[in-house]
Amino acid sequence: MARLFVQLKLRLLLNALRSSRAAKISFIISTTFAVLLAVGTFLVLASFRGKSTSVDLTAVIFTVFAFGWLIAPIMVFTVDSTLDPSTLALYPLRTRQLATGLLAASFTGAWPAANVIGLLGVTVGLASGALGVTVAVIAVILQVLFCIALSRFVTTSLAGLLRSRRGKDLAAFLIIPLVALYEFFTQVVPKVATEGKITAASFTGFDAWMRWLPPGLAAHAIQDASDGRPGPALARLGALAAVIAVLGWLWVRSLSRALVTTDTTTQGARVRSAKLPLSGFGLRGAVAARFWLYQRRDPASLVYWALVAVITAAVSASSIIGQNHHPQVILASAIFGAAFVGIFHTNSAGLTGPPFLLEATALSRTRDLRAYFSGQNVVLCVIGAPLVVAICFGLAAAAGRPGIGVEAAPVALGGLGAALGLSNLFTVGLPYPMAKRTGTPILTAAQGYSGYRFGSIMGTLVGTGVLAAPVIVAVVLALAGPLAIRLGVLLPCGAVYGFALALAGVRLAAAAAVGKIPELCQVALSSAVA
Amino acid sequence: METPGAASELPRYQPGAGASAVVVRGLRKTFGNKEAVAGIDLQIAAGSLAGLVGPNGAGKTTSLSMMTGLLRPDGGQVLIKGLDVWENPPAAKAIIGVVPADVRLFERLSGEELFEYAGRLRGLPADEARSRSAQLLDVLDLAGDAQRLVADYSTGMRKKAALGCALIHNPSVLFLDEPLEGVDPVSADVIRRLLTRFAASGSTVLFSSHVMELVEQVCDHVSIIDKGKIVATGTIDEVRGGKTLQRAFIDLVGPRATDEEVLSWLGSSSS
Repeated sequence: MARLFVQLKLRLLLNALRSSRAAKISFIISTTFAVLLAVGTFLVLASFRGKSTSVDLTAVIFTVFAFGWLIAPIMVFTVDSTLDPSTLALYPLRTRQLATGLLAASFTGAWPAANVIGLLGVTVGLASGALGVTVAVIAVILQVLFCIALSRFVTTSLAGLLRSRRGKDLAAFLIIPLVALYEFFTQVVPKVATEGKITAASFTGFDAWMRWLPPGLAAHAIQDASDGRPGPALARLGALAAVIAVLGWLWVRSLSRALVTTDTTTQGARVRSAKLPLSGFGLRGAVAARFWLYQRRDPASLVYWALVAVITAAVSASSIIGQNHHPQVILASAIFGAAFVGIFHTNSAGLTGPPFLLEATALSRTRDLRAYFSGQNVVLCVIGAPLVVAICFGLAAAAGRPGIGVEAAPVALGGLGAALGLSNLFTVGLPYPMAKRTGTPILTAAQGYSGYRFGSIMGTLVGTGVLAAPVIVAVVLALAGPLAIRLGVLLPCGAVYGFALALAGVRLAAAAAVGKIPELCQVALSSAVA
Repeated sequence: METPGAASELPRYQPGAGASAVVVRGLRKTFGNKEAVAGIDLQIAAGSLAGLVGPNGAGKTTSLSMMTGLLRPDGGQVLIKGLDVWENPPAAKAIIGVVPADVRLFERLSGEELFEYAGRLRGLPADEARSRSAQLLDVLDLAGDAQRLVADYSTGMRKKAALGCALIHNPSVLFLDEPLEGVDPVSADVIRRLLTRFAASGSTVLFSSHVMELVEQVCDHVSIIDKGKIVATGTIDEVRGGKTLQRAFIDLVGPRATDEEVLSWLGSSSS
């Protein structure tokens, strides 16, 4: 059965590669990143050879990989296109067959292979002797199996956690602390390490508690075997295998339950006001009213705003903590915060999904489309501008330099206008279908369109930085000036500049969209976002 | 086999003196190597309640999507009340209502908010949109659930809500794709009565379905599509030619294979 599942997974991957140009590009990008990950990880792990803390560092990297597998399926990029178990529910498969087959399928593909190859760097960095290398290979395979089993178990459990609509809405917010941790590891830790606050010596003693975690067990098994202690090495590998077995059993159990339990509709959820707001503002008001209600009621929208807050804070948190702090980096927070307001709302048709057809039937002329884009932008600005500015002021206060907040505010406003304008342009220029994955409210690109998503994210991020550069330059030039100038001139200038950029984005996007409504409709129809 | 009103005589159905509400000429669409719609011609008279029937994958949804400006055709022309859908989309879209097959609505709006939104998107003043919304909710038997989120609606309620959204601006021509699929008999009856009343007022309805009984009951005109081509069109009586519509349909599109002998293993007597 495992062989059949592996063949099926390979067939699906090959078919995705053959299906469209977008899928080919996406496959190439994904594979390139997988290769880079494999090579980079291998080299980093190999470089630990001879270091006194090599086992601690290896345990840390193994733990980071496990955390990555936990987070990755609910983040932007799809790294594990595991077979959808619901498609197998009708076949008379025993639980063991299903588990083995799905696990084998999960092990198939570029990313699992990259994980194995990269982690095999331990055969150079940590292992020594034939026994050490042999145990290292087994430990790496078990480590990747552990990552897969953990990832599958957590995502399936999240899906089964609460089955009513309200329950799902609440469960959606579980993602926020996970992303906060992710940001900590990807934004704060590397910066602190670059500043020399984290060195190899910092990890001394980590294994006091990490050695008992599954990734630590794998790392220490290699160390034990290399030191000529096969007994403890085998015991650790056995313990790790047992953990994998338990996780696998729990996963299959929750999987079995999830496959035969229906969703229950929550009764009695009634809205307080029956009327849509902004009734006197025509089509723009109607679009803004619907979008405003969605920002309040849609869990995905609320999560996006929470993520904007987390990202804005995380970008500069590391630089304002400690003695060698650089509070000026709060300007970068302003840029990132503004950019992510745009990033999370780009590809409007794909994000809206099939309901976009209702809007599309009313969007024919350029002025209709201007109203559509500007209606959404107004709402995003009303929420995004105070949020990003407030966080920048909070960060500045935490850094003991409240004045930096005054400098960050115009950058945030200029950046927000740029991000919204770019978001509108990418909505029209690079539309792609979205998909919702079980266990997370965050929408991701449908299979074969990760390259599009990557392009629009990077385009918005880099574009926001470039377009906000004049404001940053003005802020830096005005640093020596009095507060009144910064507050009284730069702030309105930043706001006007941002408004102009957003307006330009709206006008260009509307002009481009007027001939592309059918294509946007097809993208919306292909999106599985419900 | 060819029934009265078969493809060779197209287009020929023009009941009454009214002008055609929908005219389709040579509409084509190809996906990759598959020709989904192979040049269809169709003419639906104003005030008609017309059905477009065909087996799964025959091209019904693709045809309706192209007729309503939601899918760009490879060739052909679609005129709604004389307005070219692809030459003058704003004018054509303003006079049509659409209920797609896969009804997905704005889940986080209440029924009342959804109807008002649909009305305001169509340019109705907010007060008028609210007034029409209340009346439609009442007629569609959704008034009791007007303040519930659409996310909590059943399939039948969603279909009715989608119909309300499509009707709120009083379109001249209404397109529906499988309007009664997955709908319970009570909701189906509400939809059926509303469509009949709408068509009786002089408006035009074109809907796709593969429920022959429904088409036979409510339609005055039917077109059968198979493999992307219209294989018969005309009044219900013309197309069914003395048989039931179901029989006429099967005779036209035919059983796909006579391979019962091949399945000798199928059945309780075999293993």
